[in-house]
Amino acid sequence: MVKNTRAAKTFRTVWMAVLMLFLYAPILIMIALSFNASVSRSQWTGFTLDWYVKLFNDPAILGALKTTIEVAVIATIISTVIGTLGAIGMHSMGSGMTNVLINVSYLPMTTPDIVTGVSLMLMYLFCHVPLGKWTMIFAHIAFDIPYVLFSVMPKLRQMNPNLYEAALDLGCKPLQALWKVIIPEITPGIFTGALLAFTMSLDDFVISYFTSSDMYPNLSRIVYSSTKLGVKPTMYALSTLMFITILILLVLVNRRTKLENL
Amino acid sequence: MKRSWYATPYALWMLLFAVVPLLFVCWYAFTTPEGAFTLSNFQEFVKPRYLGVIVRSLKLAVYCTVLCLLIGYPTAYFLAGRDFNHAQSLVVLILLPMWMNLLLRTYAMMTLLDDNGVLNAALTALGLGKITVIGTEGAVVLGLVYNYLPFMVLPIYTVLKKMDYSVIEAAEDLGCNPIRVITRVVIPMSVPGIVSGITMVFMPAVTSFAISTLLSNGKIRLAGDLIDYIFNQSSNPTRWNIGSSFSLIMLVLILISIGFLRKVDPDNEGGGMW
Amino acid sequence: MVQDTRLIELKGVCKNFGDTQVLRDVDLYIRKCEFITLLGPSGCGKTTLLRIIGGFEMPSSGEVLFEGKDMTGIPPYKRRINTVFQKYALFGHLNVFDNIAFGLNLKTPEQMGVKTKKEKKEEIARRVHRMLKLVKMEGYEKRSIDALSGGQQQRIAIARALVNEPEVLLLDEPLGALDLKLRKEMQLELKAMQQQLGITFIYVTHDQEEALTMSDTIAVINGGRIQQIDNPKRIYDEPVNAFVADFIGESNIVDGVMLEDDLVKFSGVEFQCVDEGFDTNEPVDVVIRPEDIMIVGEDVGMLTGTVQSVIFKGVHYEMMVESGERTWKVHSTTMQPVGTSVGMTIVPYNIHIMRKATTADAVPVQDKTNKEA
Repeated sequence: MVKNTRAAKTFRTVWMAVLMLFLYAPILIMIALSFNASVSRSQWTGFTLDWYVKLFNDPAILGALKTTIEVAVIATIISTVIGTLGAIGMHSMGSGMTNVLINVSYLPMTTPDIVTGVSLMLMYLFCHVPLGKWTMIFAHIAFDIPYVLFSVMPKLRQMNPNLYEAALDLGCKPLQALWKVIIPEITPGIFTGALLAFTMSLDDFVISYFTSSDMYPNLSRIVYSSTKLGVKPTMYALSTLMFITILILLVLVNRRTKLENL
Repeated sequence: MKRSWYATPYALWMLLFAVVPLLFVCWYAFTTPEGAFTLSNFQEFVKPRYLGVIVRSLKLAVYCTVLCLLIGYPTAYFLAGRDFNHAQSLVVLILLPMWMNLLLRTYAMMTLLDDNGVLNAALTALGLGKITVIGTEGAVVLGLVYNYLPFMVLPIYTVLKKMDYSVIEAAEDLGCNPIRVITRVVIPMSVPGIVSGITMVFMPAVTSFAISTLLSNGKIRLAGDLIDYIFNQSSNPTRWNIGSSFSLIMLVLILISIGFLRKVDPDNEGGGMW
Repeated sequence: MVQDTRLIELKGVCKNFGDTQVLRDVDLYIRKCEFITLLGPSGCGKTTLLRIIGGFEMPSSGEVLFEGKDMTGIPPYKRRINTVFQKYALFGHLNVFDNIAFGLNLKTPEQMGVKTKKEKKEEIARRVHRMLKLVKMEGYEKRSIDALSGGQQQRIAIARALVNEPEVLLLDEPLGALDLKLRKEMQLELKAMQQQLGITFIYVTHDQEEALTMSDTIAVINGGRIQQIDNPKRIYDEPVNAFVADFIGESNIVDGVMLEDDLVKFSGVEFQCVDEGFDTNEPVDVVIRPEDIMIVGEDVGMLTGTVQSVIFKGVHYEMMVESGERTWKVHSTTMQPVGTSVGMTIVPYNIHIMRKATTADAVPVQDKTNKEA
């Protein structure tokens, strides 16, 4: 952007530092507290790993962890396949039809989470489908698909339209051309879409809350219930583990693709 | 097989799990539990306690959006700077919290702000008195900003990053000083990103659920919490119908605000919805 | 050298996109080893015509024959034709070697004339290397596509198409993105390659100079119709209508009236010419190349005028000479200062008479009988 003077650069550095503090102080404090021997949040009484031990001995939390990961993985796989195929399909349609279909994707993105959650709950209950893991997975797929679609569509649009023709020209059958040229060309988009889908799935609380039940809680539901019962440092331990896992994942991912291009 | 058929699973899934459920909401909103048409569900919200919740939700969401824009724009601008060496890793760091569960993040905030929390412990240690933050509207707005700030930074950053640098050089060439370059060129050109960011922050903020409950010990209830309450806790036999009508109102409000913002950015250059 | 066998033949090809008629009743044949250029302004339909030959578009009506057999419905991957695309369309996820080897990798060992997969691999490496040598890009095998300049990408795109040993190579404005000097070099190289390989090149461009430099045959296209098909010299010297005259080289085009055979009147003066077969007093277009107008003394000129401007163009001067109501563009190696009154003469065979024709009803003539004239 505009060339910066020395003062402007200093200001920028301070600004970023304060922002980082704002974004990370709560998280870092939470991590610290997960190692705090005391239950108190205001006193440091010594380092302990007790909360982590407790965490891994808590069947409810382990169950919720398993559910959360299972839901995210299944929803990511299915939504990536459906979303990618959808993008490829729409790319070869007339613009009128494409617009209609894309607008369907804007629907879950524009609809507030709570309304999406409530609407799905109403439908499940109306159809007498008991709320559980699969009702949650189906809901996650529905809100994950648009993220995949909108990650893949731009890659298809940016793609030199002649690439597909070049593949045919060099002897590929249409399906081969799809696999050998188009898919590799849009792989960054697919990868991004899958990552976003996975993230949205992990991150989701509201829609999961309305489309599952206490019988199959995911992590957010466990946390939400626990806040009503007062402080549980095991929750800090859990959050810490999740944070570190995601951090490692993202560092790995960031080596391959730029996060800000999502 | 024609390529356009590949979109079939997509179309079916979205129809079944995005369009049809909303039709259920509409159906319930306009009927009695017996299935007869009625408008009485909407009359519930003229009652002051419900109306108050809506007004408060809108108010806090506006505060949150304005704060996010004030913090987010300079941040995005700095990050997009060409001479900013650490931009790449900072972008990742700013987006990173988006990857953390909304609830966990709020939970972390709660830990910090609680009456017996870290903030007050620090203030006490410094000899300053304790302050009560949890339970105030300020705490809720802070929580909203904390959660939704990245959604403001991202679209603005994307637009600024894509901006052709020669446009800025052209502006300088035509006699703009750095301030004018920003006000006359950079900001007008990033309007799509701003619009996108506003939409992406305002929408979840106005309908936010759980954030306010956690940061106010349940004292401040926003629209989302009210919907949850009506559906899951009240014993009213018409609760599905009333809840649906409230959901529908939220939806319409959101659609109106999106429609309004879209007028500013008809080509959706701001980069989609997120 | 160009053979007489007709390799590709288009009969009555029409193409509509929605309501827009892009190609109207195109008849064209392309001979073995011919370098034919489809030349015309942008939007004239030349690229569509090329894409129909390549199999990327289906004609709305009409036939495309390959060695006499209809290939209208044959998909691109079954045609013995390869294409160099306008923006090269190289595969960004593959390196230079794999880009060129792409088509060969799809073939079975038998199709490559070897027995085992290992031999196929060696054969591919051999052929890719040969191609890199042909396009003067040896040693670039492992490079990524993004690391190449436009001109280098161009060469790789050509190699990728040629390695499949097509009978016909289609080139869609392949030099459009290159700078002038590089373009000139590539023109000569392409022409040399075509002669060395002895295959047919179908070349699309809007650059008339490029077309004149490289082609055995030029098809001038406008408004979806072929205006004229001929060798470069005849296209230049004997344009069939005002459009071709104007598009190829520079021209003065004026309205005239044909008084009788070999006599035309324009600018109020009667001129001898060499055209016959017009109606008496038929309005015609008169085309005169700027270099065909000779500056002479004011008293001996058939037309007289005043020099309005002079521009030095390297080899010649370009002068605008005002005479009566119109201004003539004149190319001459001797300069007349601005303001000089001059006379102009034109010899009969440099006056080209054309029927008034709109592009829509121009009759395309494919006359290659006296090509080498």
